Amino acid sequence: MSDQSWAKHVADVLRRNDIRLFATVPDFIVSHVLDELWTDPECRVITTTREEEAVGLLSGAWLAGRRGALLMQNSGLGNCVNALASLNVASFVPLVLVMSHRGDLGEFNPAQVPMGRALPRVLDALGIRWIRPTSIAELEQQADGLIKLCYAEGQPVAIVLPTELTGGKKG
Amino acid sequence: MSPLTRLGVTRYLASRLTREVVVANLGSASLDLYAIADRPLNCYTFGAMGQCSSIGLGIAVARPDVRVICLDGDGSLLMNLGSLCTIAAEAPRNFVLMVWDNEVHQTTGGQPTATARKASLLGIARGAGIDRGLEVRTQAELEHAVDRVLTEDGPLVVVVKIDKGPTTVPFDLDVIAQPASFRRALAAV
Repeated sequence: MSDQSWAKHVADVLRRNDIRLFATVPDFIVSHVLDELWTDPECRVITTTREEEAVGLLSGAWLAGRRGALLMQNSGLGNCVNALASLNVASFVPLVLVMSHRGDLGEFNPAQVPMGRALPRVLDALGIRWIRPTSIAELEQQADGLIKLCYAEGQPVAIVLPTELTGGKKG
Repeated sequence: MSPLTRLGVTRYLASRLTREVVVANLGSASLDLYAIADRPLNCYTFGAMGQCSSIGLGIAVARPDVRVICLDGDGSLLMNLGSLCTIAAEAPRNFVLMVWDNEVHQTTGGQPTATARKASLLGIARGAGIDRGLEVRTQAELEHAVDRVLTEDGPLVVVVKIDKGPTTVPFDLDVIAQPASFRRALAAV
């Protein structure tokens, strides 16, 4: 088992920015972060059937005064493009997205590659600011500022978790 | 043809509201509610088609002290049936999902939905694990249902069979400003 200490850093960044409500469609890599959150009695994690549903749920929670983060595989971004564009981006509803970057370095499954390769351009096309830290030091350097920007601007932002940080999925 | 109309059921529900949050689906449900009973605790949704029930669930989870009534449409809920499973699993006591079921995609010109054929949204909700639900076809049934909507522990699903017909209300809501104004109104409650 590779070192998964990065996952606690991701969970801690979210928690210290007052995020206690999480929605997820689980993913092998993101599940390391979920392990931190599921065992925290102050955090609530809701598993949805589809990522788009989680966008709706967390947007509603923000309208009711609670910050939220959506944890998913990057393929799930494809399942919530319209919701992000037409609700969050259009109407200034902030939301923190945390997603693994499957389909990039070390990928074993060719079906993951097209969405993995499209990921930066999909986020850019939506106007969503994103970071892709390749080390814990980079994560710690960038993530607080990204979340601050999210709520200052009232827009979704994304933390993309590359293989260099997480070790990826071996197959 | 149902004796109930969307404007009629919206008007009756609105006449009974006090401090509930009402989350309305994009298009007809929002426009009719806006025309009949605009109020600060109405949350009109315009983006994220299909997500009305999920947005309402999120509000209910974040504010368990406030009753949240969603006014979804059949086409919208059919697009997001998984939401019923999540509602059942989270089981918020302050959450009610009402569905204006006219069996057509009204906003896009009245094309039939699956409820015009074989599907029962109440049956699907029960299968998803929501035990409390009812289907409404008459004014008397509506009045009984609204008694439950306003008092009973959720999650509760009420499928209201309504007549077909587009809204006659013009679109003049500020889509960009609405979420922020609703957020401020709810924060003050």
